[in-house]
Amino acid sequence: MLWPVKKVTWKVVLAVSAFSLLNVSSAFAEVAIVVHPSNTSTFDQETIKKIFLGKAKSFSNGRAAILISSSSGDPVTDEFNTKVIGKSSSQVKAYWSKILFTGKGTPPQEMDSASDIISAVSSNPDAIGYVDAGAATDAVKVVATF
Amino acid sequence: MKSLLTVTSSIAMLMSTCALADVQISGYGSIIAGKTLGTVDDPLKPGQTRDEVFTADFYDVGQYKNDLTFKAESMFAVQAVIDLADNFSATAQLVAKGVDDFEPEFDWYYVTYQATEHLRIMAGRRNIPMYYFSEFSEVGYAYPWMRPPSNLYWWQVTQFNGISAMYDFEMGGFSNTLTFFYGNEYSDDNVEMIYYNKLYGGNARTVNEFWTDITGMNWNISGDNFDLRFVYFTNDRDRETIQQDGSIDPYSPFSQTFMGLGGNISLDKFTLLFDINMVDYDDNVGTEFPTYLLSLVYNWGDYQPYISYSKADHERTKGATPTEDLEEHYVLGYGLRYNFLPNAAFKIQYDKFVDQGHKPTGWAYHGDSRVITFGVDFVF
Repeated sequence: MLWPVKKVTWKVVLAVSAFSLLNVSSAFAEVAIVVHPSNTSTFDQETIKKIFLGKAKSFSNGRAAILISSSSGDPVTDEFNTKVIGKSSSQVKAYWSKILFTGKGTPPQEMDSASDIISAVSSNPDAIGYVDAGAATDAVKVVATF
Repeated sequence: MKSLLTVTSSIAMLMSTCALADVQISGYGSIIAGKTLGTVDDPLKPGQTRDEVFTADFYDVGQYKNDLTFKAESMFAVQAVIDLADNFSATAQLVAKGVDDFEPEFDWYYVTYQATEHLRIMAGRRNIPMYYFSEFSEVGYAYPWMRPPSNLYWWQVTQFNGISAMYDFEMGGFSNTLTFFYGNEYSDDNVEMIYYNKLYGGNARTVNEFWTDITGMNWNISGDNFDLRFVYFTNDRDRETIQQDGSIDPYSPFSQTFMGLGGNISLDKFTLLFDINMVDYDDNVGTEFPTYLLSLVYNWGDYQPYISYSKADHERTKGATPTEDLEEHYVLGYGLRYNFLPNAAFKIQYDKFVDQGHKPTGWAYHGDSRVITFGVDFVF
């Protein structure tokens, strides 16, 4: 009876290590903040955070920012919220639901894929979004990675 | 059936508007069930016992008793924001509540004019920004608990028709918003007031409650780890209790002042939420209602266990017999929020309501209660 148990144990060990490898790789994925190539505003983490929380409504070039986020279930959303905003995605959603349903602002428009976000940002000089760093293209300008 | 038809036609109306203008549809809701756990000596009928009664929503008189109910707090709201121009929009919220048998009503309707990047003017029907959580008290997804502490958010008026001007500015690296508001509320057939009339053995036909010249301001300051809000407003109060024969009970109008400081502070994985308020009447007995809330939430991934303590008091500070022996109670609550989907949270909460009111004079009218509630809050 000893042998089969050992076999199962090894499978579990393998599965767990594979899982933790996946976790490590996802923790290393970077988020790229992207704007229109013509946007020459300055960006640091504090500015990006304020823009994405609606606390700063315009870029340093004076133009009103149009916010685009990836959809709620996308891992890059969690990555962005944790690294840049410093909160969990549900905390960020709770924050925006308070603002949306009291008429004090409009949350970022959610888009389903990185290509949708890149095409929206590349076609609007005032848009700002974020994508997995690996998905950024020349059509947009990467102003920061986290 | 009537309400279903109203909902369907209202949604159809919203949809048909979609074709004509830029419309954003969103919404929120809560499906909550609960029950109290025992019986208590009836504070207003000595010698009799009754179910423990926990009032979760004073304004709508949403209550839990021994039988499990979904009606006390479940609700559903759809919001439509219609952009009429770049800087001008109209917003409406159609809200259906269990306490009204899910009969939908337009609870919010207002226009918004974005005058400048920093100045927003809103006119129409909105919640009065009284307590820190008042404006979004029904958006369960927006806060950790089942509800903001009901024994503080107990007023018979929560909304008004008026105008608000919000001005945003930066100061000392913090984001500030100053809001000035003015409006009135003529609450005919006030649900909470007729409930009290009946509770004390009355038989009035209806009670109309008037809050007029509601004038005040909010000052909101937020930084990386905190959000604070100061509130001050005054208004005039009047009431018509209309008896079955059409006669109106005498009532002395007065004015009240509402002051408070509330907010939240994040400390690593903990969030501290608080709200300290004082309501003063300029009546001839110097009525005061000091209240406060303290709550601590632990943010542990998708789980948010929390504890909350809210205390309300009622005193008379002048006149022939100043006294503190009036209404007084606290609620101690524990619970867990589990964010099981990106846009939905499961919550379970246990509350203990302890009535410390003065029994001989009938001010301990709530009675103690223990209640368990659970359900789902969502946004879309």
